[in-house]
Amino acid sequence: MPRWGMVIDVKRCIACWGCTIACKEEHFLPPGVFWNRILIGETGKFPSSRKLIYPILCNHCSDAACVEACPTGATYVRVDGIVAVDDKKCVGCRACLVSCPYQQRTYYDQTVKDREYFPGQGKTAMELIGEKLYPFKLGTVIKCNFCMERLEEGMKKGLVPGRDEDASPACVNICPVNARIFGDLDDPDSVVSRLIMEKKGKQLKKEFGTEPAVYYID
Amino acid sequence: MKDKIDDLEKNMFPSDGTGLKPYEWMVRPTAQTQWIDDKGLFLWLAFFSSEIGAGLYFMSLFHEYRPGIILGWLITLILGGTIHVLYLGNPFRAWRMIMKPNTSELSRGVWIIGIFALLGFFQMTSQGGFNIVFNFIMGILCLLIISHGFVTMNVIRALPAWSSTMVLPLSLISGIWVGSQLLQMMFVMGGSGVLASGMEVWAKVFFLIYLICVLLYVWGTYHADKIAKESIVIQLKGKLSQIFYIGVGGVGLVIPALLILIMWEGNINGFLLFLRLIAVLVGDLALRYTIMKSAVYKPLF
Repeated sequence: MPRWGMVIDVKRCIACWGCTIACKEEHFLPPGVFWNRILIGETGKFPSSRKLIYPILCNHCSDAACVEACPTGATYVRVDGIVAVDDKKCVGCRACLVSCPYQQRTYYDQTVKDREYFPGQGKTAMELIGEKLYPFKLGTVIKCNFCMERLEEGMKKGLVPGRDEDASPACVNICPVNARIFGDLDDPDSVVSRLIMEKKGKQLKKEFGTEPAVYYID
Repeated sequence: MKDKIDDLEKNMFPSDGTGLKPYEWMVRPTAQTQWIDDKGLFLWLAFFSSEIGAGLYFMSLFHEYRPGIILGWLITLILGGTIHVLYLGNPFRAWRMIMKPNTSELSRGVWIIGIFALLGFFQMTSQGGFNIVFNFIMGILCLLIISHGFVTMNVIRALPAWSSTMVLPLSLISGIWVGSQLLQMMFVMGGSGVLASGMEVWAKVFFLIYLICVLLYVWGTYHADKIAKESIVIQLKGKLSQIFYIGVGGVGLVIPALLILIMWEGNINGFLLFLRLIAVLVGDLALRYTIMKSAVYKPLF
């Protein structure tokens, strides 16, 4: 069984926000909810300061803090390494949300559901379709799922995640500079594994011991 | 037009932080809001209620004082339980926590409260309920409930201010301190002046330990790491400084200290005890609020 992971080349990223928008489209995320973010900041002091652009998303940690904190087992690590939320089991305690060092989860309540992209003008047809096609359960926590539906559908057709678009996450497909590479971390010959080894891939906040499946290279 | 723009901003970037501009996310130390803002306030009150109820029960065990354990049991279960459910919003889902005691501190807490409810009921209703074995088991359960809220917070590695080693001792002593004050007040109201006067010795001891624990928490967390220090700076110099100095310092520490000094010889006064109880309750609430509210996450880089 593969263990899915992602490598993000921060040198290639041009901060176009394509991944953020593609993700919102794919999952019909309401206003203010982001499963993909572009984080822009600076480190160091002039003249040796450095501008950093980090696309961030759920790290699908193999030793996830959210899984440890979940009192019902609603958040779990699948055999393919994807950290998923079973909304039928989620009680909305938000322990996962508080315990995530990367803050990549959102509590979906009535306030979030009621948000409109054009306030006061009602929901657009797109938003209404989204509520039917990709419904979220009220009072539960939602997060990036590595587009697991796409992966599963694609693999049923014999496609390979990371190589074929129909079996890869939306943020990977949209990236115009191929800054995001998706693949099997357990396969030493996969592109992601080779990139991590060759370019010494780094994980965010490694000190928390969560073993993220998202690596950054530059 | 401006109204519409304001409306849009309010919708897109609400005060709860969920709508922060994506490029500003976790660039600086970011405050946790889920367990203290909006409905999160229920959790703050729920942890507090469970703590004071279990504290009262714990102290009542030493005096085998049935009204105390009944009131403690009711506060823990009815008040604490109801507020917990108000936070969760859907009581028909909360039972799922019971099914997975191996998963987290939250579900283990539900089990402990369940056992406490059952055994506490037997202790209250049976004649021989106050035997040493029963008292010992109930004492352990009370201590587990008192510390449940802070233990749940303590295991969250992402928030260094909550992972501080002093969080656990502080929660235990605050529960016992508040419980002892409630029991002392009950003795006064029940006409047991001698018992209430006798408890004044323990009030001095508990207060001193509580004071030391608060100071050690502040000092220890300040020196733990950069992010934990940030939380203490928020408490002492930032937006929570008023609550910290007035609520925790003034009401929770200075007033009880003065009242302890006034009643030093053991000449207790019902009104002063009542004042001290209120001060202790407010101080404990303020302390819990500042600890929960000041917790910040480490920036992503």
